Amino acid sequence: MDSGLEEATQKLAWLSFACARDDLESGVALLAELKVLLTRLHSLPPLEKTPNAVEELKIARTIYENAVILSLKIKDDEAFGRNLCQLKEFYINTWLVFARSPYEYQFLGLNLLRLLPENRISEFHTELEHLPLEALNHPCIKYAVELEQSFMEGTYKQLANFCQAVPNETYVYLMDRIAESVRDEIVDCSVEAYDYLPVSVAKKMLMFTSYREFFEYISEEQPEWEIKNCSIHFHMAKPKSHMDLSSFKLIKQALSYAQELEQIV
Amino acid sequence: MVSSAGSLLAMLQEPAPELKLHALASLNSLVHAFWHEISTSVSSIESLYEDEEFDQRQLAALVASKVFFYLGELNDALSYALGAGALFDVSDDSDYSQTLLAKALDEYAAIQSRAAGEDKTMDPRLEAIVERMLDKCILDGKYQQAMGMAVECRRLDKLEGAISQCDNLHGALSYCINLSHQYVSHREYRLEILQCLVKIYQTSPNPDYLSICQCLMFLDEPETVASILDKLISGSNVCTIFLLYQTIDDALLAYQTAFDLAENENQAFLLNVRNHLDALSSARSDADSRATNAATEPSGDVQMGDDVNMPNGTALTVDPVKVAHADRLTKIKNILSGETSIQLTLQFLYSHNRSDLLILKTIKQAVEMRNSVCHSATICSNAIMHAGTTVDTFLRENLEWLGRATNWSKFSATAGLGVIHRGHLQQGRALMAPYLPQNGAVGSASPYSEGGALYALGLIHANHGEGIKEFLRESLRNTSSEVVQHGACLGLGLAALGTADEEICEDIKNVLYTDSAVAGEAAGIGMGLLMVGTASEKATEMLAYAHDTQHEKIIRGLSLGIALTVYGREEEADTLIEQMTRDQDPILRYGGMYALALAYRGTANNKAIHQLLHFAVSDVSDDVRRTAVLALGFVLYNEPEQTPRIVSLLSESYNPHVRYGAALAVGISCAGTGLSEAISLLEPLTSDVVDFVRQGALIAMAMVMIQINESYDSRVGAFRRKLEKIILDKHEDTMSKMGAILASGILDAGGRNVTIKLKSKSKHDRLTAVIGLAVFTQFWYWYPLTYFISLAFSPTALIGLNSDLKVPKFEFLSNAKPSLFDYPKPTTQQTATASVKVPTAILSTYAKAKSRAKKDAESKAKEKAEVAPPPSEDASAASTSMQLWLLSQVDAAAAEKKGPEPEPQFQLLTNPARVIPTQEKFIKFLEDSRYEPVKTAPSGFVLLRDLKPTEAEELVLTDAPSTAAGTNAPAPSASEQGSGAMAVDEEPQPPPAFEYTS
Repeated sequence: MDSGLEEATQKLAWLSFACARDDLESGVALLAELKVLLTRLHSLPPLEKTPNAVEELKIARTIYENAVILSLKIKDDEAFGRNLCQLKEFYINTWLVFARSPYEYQFLGLNLLRLLPENRISEFHTELEHLPLEALNHPCIKYAVELEQSFMEGTYKQLANFCQAVPNETYVYLMDRIAESVRDEIVDCSVEAYDYLPVSVAKKMLMFTSYREFFEYISEEQPEWEIKNCSIHFHMAKPKSHMDLSSFKLIKQALSYAQELEQIV
Repeated sequence: MVSSAGSLLAMLQEPAPELKLHALASLNSLVHAFWHEISTSVSSIESLYEDEEFDQRQLAALVASKVFFYLGELNDALSYALGAGALFDVSDDSDYSQTLLAKALDEYAAIQSRAAGEDKTMDPRLEAIVERMLDKCILDGKYQQAMGMAVECRRLDKLEGAISQCDNLHGALSYCINLSHQYVSHREYRLEILQCLVKIYQTSPNPDYLSICQCLMFLDEPETVASILDKLISGSNVCTIFLLYQTIDDALLAYQTAFDLAENENQAFLLNVRNHLDALSSARSDADSRATNAATEPSGDVQMGDDVNMPNGTALTVDPVKVAHADRLTKIKNILSGETSIQLTLQFLYSHNRSDLLILKTIKQAVEMRNSVCHSATICSNAIMHAGTTVDTFLRENLEWLGRATNWSKFSATAGLGVIHRGHLQQGRALMAPYLPQNGAVGSASPYSEGGALYALGLIHANHGEGIKEFLRESLRNTSSEVVQHGACLGLGLAALGTADEEICEDIKNVLYTDSAVAGEAAGIGMGLLMVGTASEKATEMLAYAHDTQHEKIIRGLSLGIALTVYGREEEADTLIEQMTRDQDPILRYGGMYALALAYRGTANNKAIHQLLHFAVSDVSDDVRRTAVLALGFVLYNEPEQTPRIVSLLSESYNPHVRYGAALAVGISCAGTGLSEAISLLEPLTSDVVDFVRQGALIAMAMVMIQINESYDSRVGAFRRKLEKIILDKHEDTMSKMGAILASGILDAGGRNVTIKLKSKSKHDRLTAVIGLAVFTQFWYWYPLTYFISLAFSPTALIGLNSDLKVPKFEFLSNAKPSLFDYPKPTTQQTATASVKVPTAILSTYAKAKSRAKKDAESKAKEKAEVAPPPSEDASAASTSMQLWLLSQVDAAAAEKKGPEPEPQFQLLTNPARVIPTQEKFIKFLEDSRYEPVKTAPSGFVLLRDLKPTEAEELVLTDAPSTAAGTNAPAPSASEQGSGAMAVDEEPQPPPAFEYTS
């Protein structure tokens, strides 16, 4: 068991080294080995306490912190999510046992930000509720919260500004995703709100810097839009209105059933 | 400890298989706490299971199964648990595995019980689980559980295994028999189980012959029963004095077995057993004689004794063993033919008769002269009250009044004699002689009394008609009067019940084809009675004729007849039932309801109940609806507690016919139980707005309350007063009045010593009783059929018999207050009238009141005078024996003896005694008694083993009437009987009777 711990410590050193050098390939390979190694450490969640539990937990935590950053760098969204999930477990379960990680709030903030572009707002708030009060003052968490607020309010301008001022360099990787989801949000609203929009206005609204990018976006993502007379027509993309349920019919039916039931016996 | 399964779920998505495995294993141990979290990503676990390359698919299946279990999706949980294979732990005690095992069993049983045509593919994994489970139960010693499961799952091999390993073999077997009757609704499968049980029984070293024979009777294997009985009565072949004691025990056992068989009243089966017995014993005696001949010649000193046929006559002493054997054989045959039990019952009913003539007198006075319905109802009521007691005092005292019956009433009145003398096999014919059609001399009596007399003969010999059926056939062939034919057909049907005799059938069929409405109706019923439970081809023939004929009466008779033929056939009858219930003619559909009722009698089969309920609410004909509800009573009589619940809604129906049916359904299925729910349901119906509903409710109530007395349920007293009120009320409708009169007859039926019992003590159906009640319900259309209710009566007696089938003096304990089960007080009638008089006394002047008071005092004195004699016989016997008992139990006695007021907590009964069904659980046999029962049954015929065979026995009842054929009526031991009744009965010829005014 000790040997396992030692091995893990060594490999972790290699991993941080690889990360620092941006040697992503060897980093991924090392990480995979490390994760398997971790499953052999008995004290890791969800298992019982062992003498070197603290050491093991600490090392596992650091490994997963590295894993998160690594997955951000290689732009593997799924792995990013998974790693954050597992890392979070360590944060929640260990803070009574030993000191918090200095990066804890940074990663928790990342976790919050991860949920925003996917529009998982309810989960976002659940996560937020799990955090202790003082966490809200941490710049990373504060940033995520403010971002969410403007996202909800629809002050997309402000959002754009936020995107420029990230509190930590790891956050940059997520900003593209957020910008994209903001755009999607605006598209949805415009389709509902307007029958057509002049191209220039639309471009500005959707925060495209050049017309070429804008038209590429339209042809790839929104084939239903029609461009006529320098304006964009949305009528093809309008969502169908729901057929409203004929409640009167249903009520009538239910009543007649009840009546017939009564008459049977 | 972890707070969420999120990280593990995330790990599940990792590409490395080691990580997935680790995650799964951890999830498996945590699933009970985090199933809600896991459930959202259960699909990923499922996909792991479906991934052929993943090497721990079973673990994935187990986790998925647990999640589905917590989600309440048991079907999915089960299918994944099956996928988990060996990982699914059968011996686990957790909720999860317990629930899933139950589910697996259900599933397995459902697949196993599918009919042959359906898809029967069995998942081998499911089978494996069930087998693992069964084996485990057997290993753990939970045999009953294992047996139950094996029966449910149709695994007779496992059932056999469980029983054979069980340490209490007899207990296990009787448990299984119970199981098969109560819970196995499929007839064929039930027979398979019984076959299997018999096989086990026979291999056991010390077989329980009583149970084997019961099983064999169900399987309809008379040969085997005969050979068992034969073995028992003949003992071992090498007979020595040493073994003699043993053989007496065996013989007792054989007698007991025979009594139990006879109690089920399956005439055809019993006949077969008798014939086989004869064949066996004659074969044996042939073989014996040959063997002894061969043996004696060379050696000479064979202790087998000598054969009578031996020509050289070395020793003409008759072999005692053989004599004993012959004697036992005749006894067994007598028991099987029912003669012994009928005779004993007759003696019991006669000697214990407690019918209250005052009630009848009141009815007679209250009933209007010209109202023939009530008049014949009264006669009928009298017949029922004295059913089987042979006491016809009331008729003798009221000959003139009786003479008012004309035409069909005369038919009924004559037939009533048959009910009174029911079971009087030896003298039945002599009793009825004055009314029977005289050969040659025509016109001596009216055809109505002749027909009635033939019907009466049938009632007397019901189900035991060996001796009388030739005479009935003769009478049927010699007459052309349709009334006589009517009586003869009913009589023949009753006498030859269920024998399926071809010749008789032809005779009745000839009558049917004359197409006369009156005779045809009886012919239809008669044919049905003859063919009861045979499901013979004749049914289709009858159905065809029912379509041909124009007469409604004939169609009705035939459709009831067809229903009778499918008695007890369950699934086998389905085609015929389908045919009848789909018919255009409502009368045939009505017959279809009876067919359903009788085919599924006492099975509580869900399908049948469902069908009946459907007809009860959807058929267009009132008759069909009424019968459908009524039929529920027959289907449910094995679970009387259920019936009130099932029909309670129907009893509130707007349709009076449905209400009537509901009342009778409760009456039939709860008959004799005194069930509180049943009484509560019937009570409001007895004051229904429609007259015939009241009639039905009163009759049903009487059937439920039969033999229950007021101290057991106070509502009985109220009901008796209500009956009296209805009978006395001038403005009451005739229909309900008739119901009340019949009800008071039923309430005190058979001298207050019989109850209506549709099941024998061994929990089998009593064929005669069920048939009797079914035909009885026909009184709606045809009053003379009311008498069929007498077939359902069964005496509530415990009769102990010694090895000579005599009734020895023997006492046993009823461990309850005597008043709970006592006869109702005979003077209720008078006190009731007295209490009626009181209000008038208050209203009148003082002087009048004074004279009234005087009269009251007088009447009370009279009452006392009347009360005095009855206790002399039983009570005095009981009290003397009680004192003996008290003396033996010194310390307890001292306290008890002082205060006469507090009622004793127990009662000593002397053989033969009245033991009513509700009393049975209090019956105890005394340990220090001279006799020990072979079978500890609380009622019926019980063979007693004499522990002091050397001492002289003291007998209670003499066996008078069996020898003297025509002269003697059953005479109980003279000392106990009132001499007046005695004189009446020793008079052989019955009433030179009422001269009918023609």
